[in-house]
Amino acid sequence: MAAAKTRTSTFSRNLSTAAPSHGPGLKCGPNGTVFLSSGIPDLDKILGGGFPLGSLVMVMEDAEAPHHMLLLRNFMAQGLVLGQPLLYSSPARDPRGFLGTLPSPAASKDDKSQERDPDQEKGLRIAWQYKKYFGESQLDGQRDSKHEYSNEFDLRKPLERHFINGPRIDCVSIQDCPDLSTLRDRCATFLSQFPRNDGSISCAGRIAIQSFCAPQCAYSNMEWDMLSFIRYLKSMVRSSNSVAIITFPPSLLSPSFCKRWQHMADTLLSVKAIQDEDKELAQLLTGYQDMVGFLNVHKVARINTQVPVILEATTFSIKLQKRRYLVLECLNQAPVDGSSGTSYGTSGGWSSSSKTGNLDF
Amino acid sequence: MAESICRALRDGALEGELAPALTIKDSVASPFALQVFSHVLSQLFSSILAGKSQSRGLVVVSFSRSPSFYLDLLKNKGTDIASSNKQIQILDCYSDPLGWKDQLAGSRNFTALSNEVLVSSTAIVFREVKHMDKLYNSIIELGKGLVGGGKIRFSIAIDSTDLHDYLMIPCRSCLLSDQISSIFWLLHSDLHEARVTAVLEYLSSIVASLEPSHQLANGQRGDLENFSLIKHNSKKGKFHVRFKKRNGRSEEVHIDSQLSTLHLCHLKEQLIRVLCQRKIDVDWGRKQQLLKELGLKEQMDAPSCAGCKSLS
Repeated sequence: MAAAKTRTSTFSRNLSTAAPSHGPGLKCGPNGTVFLSSGIPDLDKILGGGFPLGSLVMVMEDAEAPHHMLLLRNFMAQGLVLGQPLLYSSPARDPRGFLGTLPSPAASKDDKSQERDPDQEKGLRIAWQYKKYFGESQLDGQRDSKHEYSNEFDLRKPLERHFINGPRIDCVSIQDCPDLSTLRDRCATFLSQFPRNDGSISCAGRIAIQSFCAPQCAYSNMEWDMLSFIRYLKSMVRSSNSVAIITFPPSLLSPSFCKRWQHMADTLLSVKAIQDEDKELAQLLTGYQDMVGFLNVHKVARINTQVPVILEATTFSIKLQKRRYLVLECLNQAPVDGSSGTSYGTSGGWSSSSKTGNLDF
Repeated sequence: MAESICRALRDGALEGELAPALTIKDSVASPFALQVFSHVLSQLFSSILAGKSQSRGLVVVSFSRSPSFYLDLLKNKGTDIASSNKQIQILDCYSDPLGWKDQLAGSRNFTALSNEVLVSSTAIVFREVKHMDKLYNSIIELGKGLVGGGKIRFSIAIDSTDLHDYLMIPCRSCLLSDQISSIFWLLHSDLHEARVTAVLEYLSSIVASLEPSHQLANGQRGDLENFSLIKHNSKKGKFHVRFKKRNGRSEEVHIDSQLSTLHLCHLKEQLIRVLCQRKIDVDWGRKQQLLKELGLKEQMDAPSCAGCKSLS
């Protein structure tokens, strides 16, 4: 698991007064920012705490695979579990149906982390992955407080009905909208509930817009209109206590607009499908069989600061542990043993061509 | 490979999910999509007749070929068209797509071609191709006429999208309809903007593309060096299929085959043979590219890597 190294320089803000206490699901971060959880603990760690309030997150989809839906599900479920109001918009005719697929918080985190160890092979494989355990041991003490901020979600267990039928959930279908004025008005009404002012934040809101330029939407040809909607949303979100996440398939946009949209994002992620039975990847990476895709972090939001975030790694594998829990892991190259010709965790593709000569030192 | 495509279309849509959509894509360098389309069409229709598929009827929207082409095709495959009226309907957008013949007939007593009468029981001439909504409604009405209302589904085959870029609108609308079991269309990628191709690929769950087995050097056809490649490409090609799977992994299969004679039923055997024979060698260049894409640093230098083929 990756942990972002937050650089504390001499220029960081000294908070002499005690930080104001915030509502559930919010955490103070450096430089006066307040985070809310993405619903994926690994992603929160990678991003340095979560999504900062007032930021716009954009996720570039891969047309081959629905991994952006995994990110959205966790994001939305996290908000509902913590009682944070949600606005969800999608090109489906009945977006409310998607709420039924949201996952429920996992039963007990302790059980899950203990079960992870037997899955790993003992012996030399640990030597390659010691970094992961090094980071994890520091978190043991913080587990209890974490549940008030973020949860691990069990993708096989649906979210309980009373969360989904809550009063503060708004769903918008953008399939038959000829233009974006309806969506814009709904966003404006929603965000007016969370004005930003100095002092403690009682409640934060979440906006999730799925597949924004999908061809099912009537406005999908109107590129300038879509861009101005994103600009408008970004400015509204910045002056409120909320986070908006927009997913879009970049292949459906012209290249210049794709670039413009990427520039609009405060946090930019992309998901990629993985080929089934790709033998080359299987030889390059450990744990290929468990991977369902890749997540790339292109940009991390930095609000109130000029110090950039430099991540150790920007590409992570998306795995579903026991087909239930979404985890993000750093990629580890499979070790290649030149002398014996076999590599761990893969079935000897290398050996066939190394038989010609062993390396002698 | 063609078998798994036909099987996916035959199995049709699950409740609450979109119907499987197939894009058959080719280019001028390997123009074999029509053969693949015809094969898939005949296979699907025979499973409909045999009652083995979820769909109970087939609507063919023909833009670039006359309805008689499809009827002859199915007849040659052994299906009895006369008795299978209730299971196939052809929306004829080939004979008079913009209604010009109608206008001429009105002004000059122009008589319609006689062969149109022969196919009139299975083919309906459509004259308003410019109106996407009417096109979509006609397709759905034809389908409902075949299978009736309710839960019974039908399949749609659209023979060419090159007439109009906005044809992707009815393609998309058909896909969203509840009564579709499966849908497939033919796409000549050279004739569209990249965006249109991207949209149709986005909407489909299976993309079958036909590529030339040898890429031409600079795309110019007049070159003598390229002539032998062009000749080679006219007989052979690569059949490349991508399945979007529910678990988020996509499956890709790539095969070289002799497509001119189009014994597609042998493709599966060839595929198995090719995969067994193929040595799993890691090309060093590909590895570098993969590592770069994944953001990993090089583990070791090229010459000392075991299994590396290119040594400087």
